[in-house]
Amino acid sequence: MKKKWIAAVLAATVALTATACGGADTDTTDNTAKKGGTGAAVFNGQLEENVTIRVLENDTAIEKGYFKELIDAFNEEYKDKGIQAVDANMDQYLDLANDGPYGYGPDVLYQANDIIMKYADGKHILPLPAEEFDCFEQIPDTAWNAFHATVDGTEYTCGIPVNVQAPMLYYRKDLLPADWESAWDEDKDSVPDMIQSWSKMYDYSVARHEANKKQYGYMKSLNDMYFSSGFLFSYGGYIFGNNNTDPSEIGFAAGEAEKGAQVLSQLASAMNEDCIDDTITTNAYSKLADGSYFATISTPDVYSTFLDELTKAYEEQEGLSEWDAAKKAEENLVMTALPQLPSSGDLTDKNAEQIVSKCMGGVNGYAVSSYTKAPNACLEFVKFATSYDMVKRRAHMLGIAPARGDVAKEVGGTSEEIFKNLDAGNIILMPSISAIAQIWTPGQTFFIDLAQDVYRADNEKKYKDLASMKAGLEDMCKQINEAITTLQ
Amino acid sequence: MKQKNGFKMLDTGVTYVLLIAVAFIFFFPCLWIILASLSKSGSIYSFDGFFPRSYSLATFKKLFTDTTMYNYPKWFLNTLMVATGSCILGTFLTILTAYTMSRFEFKARKPMMKITMVLGMFPSFMGMTAVYLLMTQFGLINHLWGLILIYAAGAPMGYLTQKGFFDTIPKAIDEAAKIDGATNLQIFTKINLPLAKPMIVYTALTSFTWPWSDFILPKLLLKEKNLYTVAVGLMSLDETEFARFAAGSVFIALPIVVLYFCLVRNMVNGIAAGAVKG
Amino acid sequence: MKQTVQTFMKTATVPVKMSLLLMGAGHFRYGSISKGLLYLFVELSMIYYLVQRGFNDIRGFFTLGTQRADAWAGIEGDNSVVMMLMGIFAFIVIAVFAFFYVQNIKGAYAMQKRAENNLPQKTLRQDLADLLDQKFYVLVLALPLIGVCVFNVLPIIFMILIAFTNYGGNIVPPELVDWVGVDNFRKLMVLSKFGPTFLKILGWNLLWALLSTTINYFAGLGLALLLNKECVKGKAIWRAFPILAYAIPGFITLLAFKFMFSYGGPINQMIISNGGTPFGFLGIDAKWSARLIGLLVNCWISVPSIMLLATGHLSNRDMSLYEAAKIDGAGRFAQFRKLTVPFMLFATMPVLLGQFIGNFNNFGIFYFLRGGMYMDGYFLASDTDLLINWLYNLSIDNNYYCIGAAISLVIFLITSVISLTVYVKSPSYREEDTFQ
Repeated sequence: MKKKWIAAVLAATVALTATACGGADTDTTDNTAKKGGTGAAVFNGQLEENVTIRVLENDTAIEKGYFKELIDAFNEEYKDKGIQAVDANMDQYLDLANDGPYGYGPDVLYQANDIIMKYADGKHILPLPAEEFDCFEQIPDTAWNAFHATVDGTEYTCGIPVNVQAPMLYYRKDLLPADWESAWDEDKDSVPDMIQSWSKMYDYSVARHEANKKQYGYMKSLNDMYFSSGFLFSYGGYIFGNNNTDPSEIGFAAGEAEKGAQVLSQLASAMNEDCIDDTITTNAYSKLADGSYFATISTPDVYSTFLDELTKAYEEQEGLSEWDAAKKAEENLVMTALPQLPSSGDLTDKNAEQIVSKCMGGVNGYAVSSYTKAPNACLEFVKFATSYDMVKRRAHMLGIAPARGDVAKEVGGTSEEIFKNLDAGNIILMPSISAIAQIWTPGQTFFIDLAQDVYRADNEKKYKDLASMKAGLEDMCKQINEAITTLQ
Repeated sequence: MKQKNGFKMLDTGVTYVLLIAVAFIFFFPCLWIILASLSKSGSIYSFDGFFPRSYSLATFKKLFTDTTMYNYPKWFLNTLMVATGSCILGTFLTILTAYTMSRFEFKARKPMMKITMVLGMFPSFMGMTAVYLLMTQFGLINHLWGLILIYAAGAPMGYLTQKGFFDTIPKAIDEAAKIDGATNLQIFTKINLPLAKPMIVYTALTSFTWPWSDFILPKLLLKEKNLYTVAVGLMSLDETEFARFAAGSVFIALPIVVLYFCLVRNMVNGIAAGAVKG
Repeated sequence: MKQTVQTFMKTATVPVKMSLLLMGAGHFRYGSISKGLLYLFVELSMIYYLVQRGFNDIRGFFTLGTQRADAWAGIEGDNSVVMMLMGIFAFIVIAVFAFFYVQNIKGAYAMQKRAENNLPQKTLRQDLADLLDQKFYVLVLALPLIGVCVFNVLPIIFMILIAFTNYGGNIVPPELVDWVGVDNFRKLMVLSKFGPTFLKILGWNLLWALLSTTINYFAGLGLALLLNKECVKGKAIWRAFPILAYAIPGFITLLAFKFMFSYGGPINQMIISNGGTPFGFLGIDAKWSARLIGLLVNCWISVPSIMLLATGHLSNRDMSLYEAAKIDGAGRFAQFRKLTVPFMLFATMPVLLGQFIGNFNNFGIFYFLRGGMYMDGYFLASDTDLLINWLYNLSIDNNYYCIGAAISLVIFLITSVISLTVYVKSPSYREEDTFQ
């Protein structure tokens, strides 16, 4: 018994790094003067010979077979030079700062920008000569900035961006009302209104649930800070002051953020109690597939999971062959940018002006460990893995949104949309300062409370108007502030 | 007489009702996990109430054949090795310590008892940092037997339970043997050890079970995926892999239940009572 | 003490005195070559260790490093935490050496006395035989003691010492850690936010530990007694059900129960299909229902192992006492109260205490069942959190190891005083031979 609790501790650490996504400051786009910074002195261009480099990739890339293709292609090309890349065969959320110094870490790693930049503080990863990469011009500054670190007054680039993570709306085309073209397309642009506006999404959710009590429209657990905070950002909220670099100022209640909370609360009222805990987050895959839910939001990297579930469902429900089912699923499962929000923060307000949705996001990329024995070979590998062909292959196999402009254009569709959103500053990248670890629990508590409130009896409700929501948000900021400052 | 028989019947009846209730309480959640692992859809949310709508063995097949990402058979063997190793070593050390602390009088005894008592109370998750650093210094990261070493070394800390047992074995038997010229080693191996069978079984079971459920230590010390123990491996499963998680959990229980049935015969013996009287 | 040293200086022969410098010298003089060689070997290896790394380790313990590592510039640098750990390790080695050193002098002096009184010297063989008999405990305890010292005591000392450094936050390797004295404790005293939360959590923590220990203990004992009844056929089978529960790792059980009681879980599904509204058993408003579920789930997890243990102990009872009681006309309940409970309490007192401490520090239950919430009126904790969960939130979540170590030291002092008092007063500590 005594030891049982110990078991939990590591899960926590793992879970923590798993939730923490996103990174660095969002400077304005300034394409005229790109800065790459200098690489570490060890990059002397002399390729080490007869070395094996251990590469840490993310699980999806391994599972879908992309990683095998990548290292096979690399090994084929560098066979003569005696460089071999292998799967590091370690946990994708490992902590380089912990393992690296003792020689147990990978040589090259692929992780989210906030994690990579955390390593940069302790110089656990090497600064890279970004300008040498052929993707240098193709990647927008916002993505590069996520990997910039200023050490002793000099600016360095510590990672090479590969793909952009941002929440996307998933919905099923075949669950749209049959008459959507006449009834749900007021602006006649051949795109259903509920995909373009949260107000319409709310209307449709209510209507769908009215028609069949077992069915819902838009469903998403509120407790996930990563997805819910986007609503606050859209109305002027932010994370930390001074472009997300100053943790003494916490901005979740800034501007008219309470309007975002109200929108969330209204959306929750069209769901059920499952939105209070993380039930919907885990059941969305199967519930979207069986038609209970019409839409949800998630990140692009789980597209294939949604697709697999839907394919399975078509096979079972409609008796389609695997190939037909897969084709049908691909046709009907749509991943798209988030709908727009009413400026008044009231989904029932039909005349409100529409504003763009902002969201929290991150950039994943490659970095080279400081503890590698073959830095030049590692650099060569990263160059290979971020080349046009490999990133394109990656986008095709994994459905990710590439950070390279040329690949995004080539792949088109959602990837291009995400790329544009990133470029336009609508994706708020998480700061890579350590205080970020403190925002999750207070934030989550507030959103749980907000969701619970919808299902409380009228006389017990806490959040009845905008003012009380503002107070709730301010309370949450205070908690975060205390968590950050008290122990310093 | 008749009344007494009636009472006995009633007593037996109540006993069985209670037993069935207890069995249900303990078995139901287990059954739920077992059936979930047999679910055809693989998703826990497509259940009808507690149980899946349709069953298949596909998940178990997947668990043992689809090993590219999650090499369950390898994890299982790793855990089996660690569990067996630390079970043998740990039981040996614990029983020895407990016996010594119960039977021998020496100066450091009482202070040692108090110290171990207090040491056990430390909220030790920060001690984990130290264990990790220590193992890096000894070069024991990524070695299964490094894990065994730590489990076995920590086991004697829990000697109090076993000491309590030895305290209840009458010393009169020892003294009789001593008069017959037996050494302390002989008294231990020939007399007390056989008497302590139930306790040895208990100790063996607990020290065998622990590595199956612990994941903080293996996670800390084993960096390579193919060295993982089952618990670490299961925690690394993707959230959508519920059926596989359940199937993996069911299989963890198997060796422990098997071990229990092998050892159950030794659980109960009344030799001690008989020995005093004789 | 002073006197013994004086008489030693006066009466000891030169070789024995030489043992002070050259271990084993006395043994050589009185003919015990093999033991002398052993002592010499100990001394030589100690010198080797000290030269090789011991001196550096001890110095490192005090400085905690002087050269900051910089991987970009290729400077290897010092790792403060490792230096501290190896410093502690060096002290342990020195302590072990000191033990041998004293043994060496004592042994040599005893040999001299024996020689003066014309007594035969003990041979190595005799000493070894002694280890199997008179000094059996030395032989037996040596191995566990070393293991416990290295893997349990050392980390704990490490943690206690961390409370007196500034390790944590931004100061983790490669940054250099420093000793800061009692700064961390002063910080804790000054912070007014800690007080109310600490008291609230401590209250619930004590209640939880008491309740869950009592429930688990008596449920486990009751179950063992129930299964021990003569009328129960197929005991092994009945006992297998709790064993099955025991065989499934705790974290899996906890995750399963969390799911069962969640909004989308089977229990709420049943409520909905019967026309009710879903209830948040573990939700944000559900303080007491969550606490109750915690107690019951903990019971489900702990009872099987207590039952196993109790079964072992029950088989060790002196049944003749029961026969006698029966003849005296004692009812079954009287037997339970007068014979079984005292016996079990005696035999399992340490276990009971261990359970109490285990439950007091039960991290997993509420971490898995209801993690990720900070409640109003609590500072960075929820209303089901125990002290250890709070400690975790404060230290590990935020990386403030030194503050965490300081708090855990405070908690540790409180709990150890309580349990040590109980333990020292308990019959199983004071009257170890009651049932012999």
